[in-house]
Amino acid sequence: MNIVVCIKQILDPEVPARDFRIDSERREAARGSANLVTNIFCENALETALQFRERAGGRITVLSFGSESAEDSLRKALAMKADAAALVINDGHPHPDPFAVARALAAAIRKIGDFDLILVGRESGDWGAGQTGALLAEELGVPCVNFVDHIDSDSDGLRLKRQTDAGWEIFAAKPPVVVTITNDEHNVPRVPKTRDVMMSYRQTLTKWTLDDLDTDAASIRAANSYYEIVDLLIPVKETQCEFIEGDSLESRVENLARRIQEVTDAL
Amino acid sequence: MNDSQATREVFWNITQVWAMYALLVPTLVIAGFGFYRRVRVWKRGLPLDRTDRPIERIRKLITHALAQRRTTRDTSAGIFHTLIYTGFIILTLATTVVFIHQDFGLPIMRGKFYLYFQSFLVDVFGALTIVGILMAAFRRSIQRPKKLVYTDEAAMILAVIFLIAVTGFLVEGWRIAATSDPWGHWSPFGYLIARASGPLMSDETLKQSHAAVWWTHAVLVFGFIAWAPYTKMAHVAFSPFNIYTASLAPVGASLRHIDFDKAETLGVNSLAAFTWKDLADFDACTECGRCTNFCPANTVGKSLSPRDIILDLQLFMRNSERGIQNGNSALRTPHSAFNSPIIGTVEATSPDALWACTTCGACMEACPVFIEQMPKIVDMRRFLVMEEADFPDTMQEAVTSIESRGHPFRGTSLGRMDWAEGLNVQTIDQADDAEVLLWVGCGGALVERNTRVTRATAQLLEKAGVSFAVLGREEKCTGDPARRIGNEFLFQNLAKENSDKLNRHGVKKIITACPHCFNTFRNEYPQFGGNFEVYHHSQYLARLVDEGKLKPEKKSEKKVTFHDPCYLGRHNDEYDAPRQLVKIASRSNPIEMKQSREQSFCCGGGGGMSFIEEPPDKRVNGERARQILETDAERVAVGCPFCMTMLEDGINARKGERDVRVMDVAELLWESVSADVRG
Amino acid sequence: MSDILAILFASAGFDGATQGILGEGRRLADTLSCKLHALIIGPQNEPMNSSVAAIADRVIAVDQSEISEYDTEPYLCVLVAVCKQLSPRVALLANDTYSQELAPRLAHRLGGSAVGDVTELKSHLDALRVTRSVYGGKAAAIIELKRYPAVVWLRARAFAPAEMRTERVAQIEKFTLDLSGDFRACIIERKREASGATRLEDAQVIVSGGRGLGGPEPFEELRQLADAIGAQMGASRAACDAGWVPPSWQVGQTGKKVAPGLYIAVAISGASQHLAGISDAKVVAAINIDPDAPIFKRCRFGIVEDYRKVVPLLRETLSGTKK
Repeated sequence: MNIVVCIKQILDPEVPARDFRIDSERREAARGSANLVTNIFCENALETALQFRERAGGRITVLSFGSESAEDSLRKALAMKADAAALVINDGHPHPDPFAVARALAAAIRKIGDFDLILVGRESGDWGAGQTGALLAEELGVPCVNFVDHIDSDSDGLRLKRQTDAGWEIFAAKPPVVVTITNDEHNVPRVPKTRDVMMSYRQTLTKWTLDDLDTDAASIRAANSYYEIVDLLIPVKETQCEFIEGDSLESRVENLARRIQEVTDAL
Repeated sequence: MNDSQATREVFWNITQVWAMYALLVPTLVIAGFGFYRRVRVWKRGLPLDRTDRPIERIRKLITHALAQRRTTRDTSAGIFHTLIYTGFIILTLATTVVFIHQDFGLPIMRGKFYLYFQSFLVDVFGALTIVGILMAAFRRSIQRPKKLVYTDEAAMILAVIFLIAVTGFLVEGWRIAATSDPWGHWSPFGYLIARASGPLMSDETLKQSHAAVWWTHAVLVFGFIAWAPYTKMAHVAFSPFNIYTASLAPVGASLRHIDFDKAETLGVNSLAAFTWKDLADFDACTECGRCTNFCPANTVGKSLSPRDIILDLQLFMRNSERGIQNGNSALRTPHSAFNSPIIGTVEATSPDALWACTTCGACMEACPVFIEQMPKIVDMRRFLVMEEADFPDTMQEAVTSIESRGHPFRGTSLGRMDWAEGLNVQTIDQADDAEVLLWVGCGGALVERNTRVTRATAQLLEKAGVSFAVLGREEKCTGDPARRIGNEFLFQNLAKENSDKLNRHGVKKIITACPHCFNTFRNEYPQFGGNFEVYHHSQYLARLVDEGKLKPEKKSEKKVTFHDPCYLGRHNDEYDAPRQLVKIASRSNPIEMKQSREQSFCCGGGGGMSFIEEPPDKRVNGERARQILETDAERVAVGCPFCMTMLEDGINARKGERDVRVMDVAELLWESVSADVRG
Repeated sequence: MSDILAILFASAGFDGATQGILGEGRRLADTLSCKLHALIIGPQNEPMNSSVAAIADRVIAVDQSEISEYDTEPYLCVLVAVCKQLSPRVALLANDTYSQELAPRLAHRLGGSAVGDVTELKSHLDALRVTRSVYGGKAAAIIELKRYPAVVWLRARAFAPAEMRTERVAQIEKFTLDLSGDFRACIIERKREASGATRLEDAQVIVSGGRGLGGPEPFEELRQLADAIGAQMGASRAACDAGWVPPSWQVGQTGKKVAPGLYIAVAISGASQHLAGISDAKVVAAINIDPDAPIFKRCRFGIVEDYRKVVPLLRETLSGTKK
């Protein structure tokens, strides 16, 4: 089974709100002193793939479309024991729309060759569009199953368990298929072994430019045919917390209960 | 008779003395082999130089082997051990005297020396030895403290040395009686036996009994000498050896460096990955249990027991040699066990136990023979982290956060410079001529409570007119938690990166309020090209007060106790500077807790443990909070951001009892020097 | 070619999200002077249909055996077929699991563009501009769609419902479509967890627990509190990742984005990724032992205390069982 896991490197989503600034020129978050990290759902996706490989075998290629720095994310994926890594270097728009991303990824996946299972994170911690998987599936002309947290296979094909608002569902799917991965208790990304981290720097990593791919590189570079960010702003939200006081624990809880009652009554 | 002629016949009443000499040969061979086979195993360990600086080593030997400073800290054990130990020394000296007198033909056993030393002193110390043995037996059989290991061997040893001592007195007493020794009363206890047995026994019976007991005594002694190296009595030789070859570095510098270009396995999961000194440590253990007794994790009921780690690995090592079967099934290991896994094979080395260590160093401070328990624990952690990536989730989160964010506090809402809001603090870019660098540390910048300590420190420096700067957003974790958790790779990367950065900025002096950063800079960065003059803020502030640059105006009425941070006290031997600040800022001297200074009890936050959720009934900070509340202090002074949060949590959890405020020494001082802060 | 289409699931009923879609659809249609169509897909129910018919100008119902239960591929076929027939300029959906997975694919198949989790829609010149929160709620982006139809899924409870007409009630038109096809992925098993009647996104009041609870058992205590005030249960990512509660309870940037009138955070420190999920909550209240916990920065009111002491007492007080 050939598995491709698409991963995205993003600005650390845990940068404290007080440090968060906007680069209004580029209409994106200012880098500041924040670090770049692998998007968490992408790591969940890789973890899901690694566990699936342990059960069903296969080969995992991690793929990213991003700047040169995304190599760090791919190296980390190699340290987590992905088999191969490829980076499509984005020399165009710094934050391409999901359609451009899907086309770039689709072209790269076709170049990688045979694929049975493509995993992507359900959304990214920066723009959070939540569309890459679906659009990628459409580009490749294969089905897409969203919010999956567990993958199994049997003689009929794949069994995909996905979360819904109310519970879960199981899909039977014939590969190839695109799957978007959400997190659950079982796909918390593993911490790579230090030895593997050291080794990952010696492994080869394929790099392509958009021109190496069979796609419309120019429109991907322009990256505004789908939608465009016209403005980016920081919403003003300041709340002053009222700390509930009282003479005793009982009276404090009573005061708390009263405040809760006031709010629920007004709903 | 003239005292100057006083002496006795050495082999009186003993025939076929050659038999004794003949017995000596196998005795020494067996004993020698006992030592040889231990040393043979040690030689399989990795190399390590522990012979440098002989003067310091000899000094250490005198203080700790000869004077046994650590052994005697425990009063009851100290007394009986001293009795037995000095008895042994005196009796051995006496035997040596006999040896010189008889075999070398130098007639030294005569006159006053014979009377004062060979008769009186030896007799009295022999009796004291018996007292010591009885005390030890009482402790072992009636008191039964938890820290001891109860083996048949230990009981046997006591029985044998008791018999040796008793038979010695019988030999002496019956000789005095039979020979009507005119100097007999110089040996008071032997004399008593002589007086008691004289009327009961005929001369002939005395002679026969004397000869029989003499031989019994001789056989017991020789047997004991042959047997001792195979028992914990080997400590008579191993302890001085271990003390001589002990690390001379401060506890804070005791972790082993890993050369990643050469290391075959990262960390330790087999005896073969230890150094010879680690292996020697296993054999040096006297089973006294002080390490476990002082271990904070063990105290609160966790499975960590440094003593059991050492003893189980000792057994493991011996079995790996002999391939013998032993009662403990986990330790039934064949010869090849020298290379087989050790982690988790017994409870002592279970991951649960290893992940309970706060690296506080109490075990190392307690050990009378300078066994290095804590670095071995970290060695095994390293294996789990770097080779297996198998360690507690919340610690993983901290490590991952250090890796990707440069600090261990995932989810903090603070930035690196938020603490300085409203202060005129300059970054090193703005003030590259600053004299000292204030290293804020992740705790000091990103944990709300500790930002107030950082503010106080910065304001004090400013008030004293110190030209200082901070790194600001460029600052990153020193790597201490990563290293103690076991990710040496991450630590080394950070150490190199930070050393380079500080050198690039031309930093010479560093002040930090975090003892972990302090220890790392002081003891660990020099290996990575980071050579700085490092001060804990308490040291620097105390100096500013001494120099008159800070003038305390008010003294607080509140009673204060001081909690020693492990990484300042035990790890770096600084106990006085923070106490001095407490003293300056309050009316009365700090109240000392039962466990303070060298024997201070950890807050529970070191070694990455502040990133672990401990079960509520087994929290180290809970126990320390109890100890704090036991005093009548209204405040507890600390000097470490981890202690701050751990103790606040611990005291909060016991809020019903009494409220004690946790304050950093810098906050106390700031309160005292600034007019605008409430007292 | 310029109409608005509201895509509704019959199974959802006339819930808050449905009302929000119709409300915003109605407003947009009125502003642009165009029609509001509503597609109700799945086994129909009368009360919902008549309510929808009192808001939309035209109601299309698709209800046939192939789609008696949700399945991605046939549902997508229905949406594509209906959209091709109606050629709306804007299609609106809710932000439930199903809508989120259908919307981008629908847009792609129609040659349009999709955007989701939208809190505001505006027509700007000839284009549609939407507002959505990005960077985990730290910023808001205004996005202009470049291809049409625009398929937009709306954040629950962010939009006001429309008034129902009493006259000019629309007719319900039944469409029957050819849904035979070889679908390579289909649902073979469905399971509803007994967690609650209302979707977390629609909940008015949520009681949520975090890592500070230390294990699954305390959630039972929280459940009793929630029951006492008619609240839904939520949890932080840490609590879900630890396996204490099902992942469907997770609130945060990586979980559900909720918008209740009252959100009670118990033993949740308030990491920014969690705050991202409650940025639309009207009132946040917290119970936390740590006065410095970031959650208090987002709170209207809170109590600094051990939840173990507060929660049982609070439940007694609120349920009136306290003597």
